[in-house]
This record gives sequence, structure tokens and C-alpha cells, in this order.
Amino acid sequence: MIHILGRTWGLLLFLLFLPTDVSAQQNQDETVCIQCHGGIPGAIGAPVRQWQGSIHQRHGVLCFHCHGGDPTDFGLAHSPERGFLGAPGDEDVPKFCGRCHVGVTEDYFESAHGQALGAGGPNCVTCHGSHAVQRATSELINPQDCTRCHEYGRAEEIKNAIAGTEAFISSLEGDVAALHRLGIDTSRLEGSIFSVRNEFRRLFHSVDVERVRNETDNFQQQLGVIAGQVEALQAELARRKVWGGAVVVLLILAGVLSLLLYKSYMEGKEG
Amino acid sequence: MGSRRLFLTTALGAIGAVLAFAAGWPVWRYLSPMEEPGEEERIALDREDVPLGVAHFFRFRGQPAVVLQSSPGVYYAFSAICTHLGCIVQWLPEQREFLCPCHAGRFSPDGRVLSGPPPRPLDSLPVTVVDNRLLIG
Amino acid sequence: MPKRIVDWLDLRLGIRDILEQNLTKYLLPRNINIWYTLGAVLLTLFALQFATGILLLIYYQPSPQEAFSSVQRIMNEIPYGWLLRNLHAVGSNLIVAVLLLHMLSALFMGSYKRPRELTWVSGFLLLNLSLGLCLTGYLLPWSQLSFWATTIATDAAGAIPLLGADLVGFLRGGTAVGEDTLGRFFALHVMGFPLLFGLLVAFHLFCVRRTGVSKPPFGPDYTPPKEHDRFHHEHHPGGIPFFPHYMAKEAGVISFFLALLVAITFFAPGLFIPPTANIPADPFVTPPGIKPEWYFLWAYQVLKIFPSELMGLAVQVVAMTLLALLPFIDRSPERRPARRPLFVALFICGIAIFVGLSIWGYFS
Repeated sequence: MIHILGRTWGLLLFLLFLPTDVSAQQNQDETVCIQCHGGIPGAIGAPVRQWQGSIHQRHGVLCFHCHGGDPTDFGLAHSPERGFLGAPGDEDVPKFCGRCHVGVTEDYFESAHGQALGAGGPNCVTCHGSHAVQRATSELINPQDCTRCHEYGRAEEIKNAIAGTEAFISSLEGDVAALHRLGIDTSRLEGSIFSVRNEFRRLFHSVDVERVRNETDNFQQQLGVIAGQVEALQAELARRKVWGGAVVVLLILAGVLSLLLYKSYMEGKEG
Repeated sequence: MGSRRLFLTTALGAIGAVLAFAAGWPVWRYLSPMEEPGEEERIALDREDVPLGVAHFFRFRGQPAVVLQSSPGVYYAFSAICTHLGCIVQWLPEQREFLCPCHAGRFSPDGRVLSGPPPRPLDSLPVTVVDNRLLIG
Repeated sequence: MPKRIVDWLDLRLGIRDILEQNLTKYLLPRNINIWYTLGAVLLTLFALQFATGILLLIYYQPSPQEAFSSVQRIMNEIPYGWLLRNLHAVGSNLIVAVLLLHMLSALFMGSYKRPRELTWVSGFLLLNLSLGLCLTGYLLPWSQLSFWATTIATDAAGAIPLLGADLVGFLRGGTAVGEDTLGRFFALHVMGFPLLFGLLVAFHLFCVRRTGVSKPPFGPDYTPPKEHDRFHHEHHPGGIPFFPHYMAKEAGVISFFLALLVAITFFAPGLFIPPTANIPADPFVTPPGIKPEWYFLWAYQVLKIFPSELMGLAVQVVAMTLLALLPFIDRSPERRPARRPLFVALFICGIAIFVGLSIWGYFS
């Protein structure tokens, strides 16, 4: 008896436990790039550590996606035949990043920033950083960083011009994240917001205050359409709560009445 | 005592009936066939709007879509929403391909992924040519 | 009309007698308390799991390619699919909580003792089977949570010497969690376990009915029942009828638990559904901070405390085996808590350790 029970237990038990350390993290990052560079102290290994926790790392953008080379073979990791590019020079940075970030790069090249490339103008990493790059926010426009090259005045104007739309975008992103948390399929909404955000950020990479002001209405309108869809979902959730609340009240009422009935039976028995 | 019990059982019965309906209705709806979305709306375009090698963007069932005449008389229509993150693709006439400006996803004129992160081809829409018009959907 | 139907059935099956014997003439101890209603609460909740489970099965697709999107479809497109899915998920958590309460009351009142050992053992197996249902059900939505919780849970079997690696592979149906894991977990969740579960519930209820309800060991007029050498059904002359008296009380408590279930489902569905449950499974990206469900936190923490996984596993096996075999270890007929100070002390310690480890596991 004991033996059988013990065994049943044992078998069930293996199914039951969810122990600890997540040791499978390696899968994703297990490129030869990281195996070598990750262990090197100083400047040669630093990019790996900076990249960890970056927006690129979180979205699965690995070393070779930008720098090329063969991430599976130590010998060919730095081979130009396998597309190894190494680190770009200052003037090549916009094209380097622009292989993926097509839209913003286009507008950047047309902007005063892009025109001044090679003559002291900023490239992508001047403002965004390189390996440790984070999700861009309008906080990248700030007195400390802008005044490294020029006065803050015009930058501040741009920042003010985009503030309303940027705030609208982040509040929508927050609302959509809250909906997603409840199991609502928000992929389409997220896509729409992403698309508008991308277009809008293209726009202000032109660093042209007039253009930003002129086109803001258009963006506000597009965001308004998305906000309408978000509000419709929120209204639906609120409606559900009303019905759920009503059922809860009815169930509690049924519980109280049942217990009163029980009491009346018990009193009847005694009386 | 009898009347109190009668009241209680009647009230419980009534609540039970309401709750039974509240439980039954969702199940009924859950099991009922859903209306087929989509069939209802089709869009007609003039063939002149879509010359050879030109992509024409339009709104289809509330979403951006594109129709393209890739070779004489051959039309392709797609949802213009990139399958990666939902940006709107552009048509590059010189390269003869679609480009998503967000992360450089490239699609061929028939919607296949050429390169970049999109996980699947552009969602294609049926096109029929009727006289001088293109019927989409 | 109803009378004619009953007459028709009565003539053939003698149902009036069955109903009488099991309802109006089925007498329960006069001092029966509210803890005795938890069995009925569990039956109701399980019935609800079966019903919602069958309905979910209509639209669910058990393949890695389809599973997540089919659950998304249930949640977003099928009318009221969200309701059934959330009821099923919240219900499973509520069931575990009520199972634990049901077990604690049986422990405190000593009702596991002779002649009710089989009721206890079948109940204990039902608890484990329920946890097995929870674990297998966890994988089915094929979310990040599903995938990694299952990976980690099956990985624990690897701590067993010699057999470990083979066992992990056997549980998963492959070296890693994948299509074949989903297949076997699905089969267990919707067929294997429910079938066993139904049989065990029937046996459990049969035991309860056959031996008779135990008298709560409280009050001045409680006297321990005589020990019998032969089968003896414990009668309660002068007790309260099961129907309509006690059933009204059960209906009341069931309503309150259903109210709780509906309240959580509508107002806090995220309570038992972590954010990673809304992201499709990705075998290449482990999400940070995967924690087991609250009812496995104690086990999770035990594994962390001990220097080797094997020791942690062994401690769990010993603890659970002791609990399973309790009626054969604690054999004194005394059931009054006041006269069992050692047991009550252990009982309180046990709860404190369970709660303490769970909280520790939650914050660690």
C-alpha cells in the first residue's frame, strides 16, 4: 500500500514542481560573438555588456544583424565574405543604422543635422547612443545633449511642438498595454500606433519646426481614430463589468436567501 | 412560517431562473454560427487609375490597401499593412518592389517577402477585371 | 405530469425509495458545521470546469502553430469566449483553494481516521489529480508562460539520479518542450485526468455515503464513536435531513463561492493570469521572472532552499507521502482537537510553513 502510494506520488510529483533558475536564457544569445567578446574586459567586450538590456537585445537584434559576419563559426565570424562589416566610421553611421531604420534616415539626411554630417553634424549615435540604445523618447531632446553642439533654443521649440503628439502616443500605448494585459488581442492597434509613431518621428527628424507644426493636425487625427477604437474596447469592458456586477449581486442574494431558508427549516424542526 | 418559506423559495426560484438565463445566453451565443465578415464590401476602381508599373493605394474595409499592375493586364492587390509591425508599405517603382519604411522589409510585386523581418507575405486580396473596372474583394 | 413521470420511473427503478434514502431520510449530525459544505462547493466548481472545458474544446486547436491564436480567437472573436476562458482559468485557482480548505477541515476534525482512511486517500489523490489538471492545462494556451512553466516543471525531474534525463524526455515526449509535449498534455488534460478524476470522485462519494458522515468532534455531548470490528454505517438518529435542510445551507455556501468566482472573473481576471500568458510561446526567448502559480510556490521555494534539487525533491516527496499516509500513522481514535495538542500544534505549524514558504517564494 505504502509502496504504491509512494510511487503514485512520485510520478505526480515530477509533474508538479516548478523550480527556479531560468537557465535557458542562453539559447538566444549563444552566438560566437558573445562567447568571445562577452568574456573580454575593457573596450573590446564592453559593447556586449552595453547591448544587454538594450531595446535591440529585447527585440532579438543580435550583433551580426548590424555588424555582419558568421555568428555560428569562430573562424568566419570576422570574414568579409560572410558579410562582416566591423564598426562604421562616424560618417557611415547613418547608412549603417539606416539599413533597418529606413524612414528616419531619409528625413535625417534631408535635415540640417544630416546636411552637416562630416562637418561636425551629429549622426544617429550622437543622440541615441550605440550598443546601449534604448527606446527613443522626446527626453533625448534636452539641454545637456543639444548644447554639446548648438544652443538649446531651436531644439526646445521642436520639443514643444512634438510634446502634445508624443504624449498622445504614449498615453495610447499605455491604454493599449492595459487592454493587452486583460487578454485583448491588441496587435492591430499596436501596429497602427507603431506606424503613426514611426511616421511622426520621421517627421521630426527633419528638425524643421514649421513642418512639424503644419503636419501635427494630420497626426492628431490619425491618433484620434485609434483612440476611438481604444475607447470602444474600454466601453465594452465597462459594460461587461456592469453585467458581472449584477450577477455577483444576484448570487450573493441567492446565498443569503438560501441561508435564511436553512434557518427557517431548522426553526421549523425545533418548533 | 409557511408563508415565509414560500416567499424564500419563490424568490430563490426567480433568482435561479435569471441566473440560468445569464448562464445560458452566453453559451447559446458562443455556439451560434458567427456572421461571415468580409463578403459584404467590394471596391471598384477604374483601370485607368492603375497604369502599368504603378501602385494605387486605397482604403479597403477600413484598412489601407494597394493594387498594382505588375505586367500588362496582371493585377495584384494586397493589404498595404506590413506583416511585421503594421506599418504601411511603399511602392518603389525603380526597384519594382514594396518597402516597409519601418524596418526595411521588402516585398516582391506579388507580395512575397524578399528580405527583412516580415514573418509572412502581404495579405493578398482577390482582384477581378470587369470591363474597364477592377473589382477588389 | 411530473408525478406521472416519477410514478413511471418509480415502478421500474424504485426511485422514490432511492430519493428518500438519500435525501429526506438521509440524516446528518445535528451539530454539522459549515465546513461540511465544501465538498458540495467542489462538486459544483468541478462541474463548471467540465462544462467550460468542453465548450473551450470546441474552438481550441492543440498544435503549436494554432494553439495560441485559437485561444486569442476565443478571447476576442467568439462571443463570450472571454467569459468561458476566464471562468475556466479563475475556477481552477478557486478549486485549489477550496480543495486545501476541505483538506484542512478534514485534518482539524480528525475525520480522516478509521474507518475513513479510504475517503482520505482518495481525496488526497483527487487533490494531486487536480494539481495535475492545473499543470497540464497551463501548457495548452501555448503562451510564453505555458511554455516556460512547463519547461521548468518537467526539468525538475532531471534531478533524480540515473533516471532523471530519461524521465524528462519521457514527460516532454522529446528533448525539449514542443509539439509532442502539447499533444500528451492535451490528451491528459481533456481525457486522461478527467476520466480518472470522475472515477475517483465517484469512489470518494461512495466512501462518504457508505461509512456515513462523521460527527463533528465538538460540543459537550460529543462522545467518540465505538470502534467496530465489522463494517458499520454511522447513523445519526435525530439528525437533520440532507434535503431540504442541509441542501439549503449548501446552496447558500455554493452561491457565495460562485459570487467570488464571478467577481474575480469580471473584476480582476489578471489576478491569476500573469502578463506572460498573453504573449505567444517563443522557444528562443525566456521571459524574466517566471514564477509558478501560488499553489506551487511552496514547492518552488523548497527547491531553492536546499543545496541540491534532489534534496528539495526528496523533502517534498517525504512531506506529501506523510500526508497521504496520515490515517495509517496517526491511529488514535481521539478526534477532539482540544485533546490532541500535539496534532493541533503540528497542524498550525504545517499551515504556517506552507504560507511562509509561499510568501517567501513569491518575493524571492
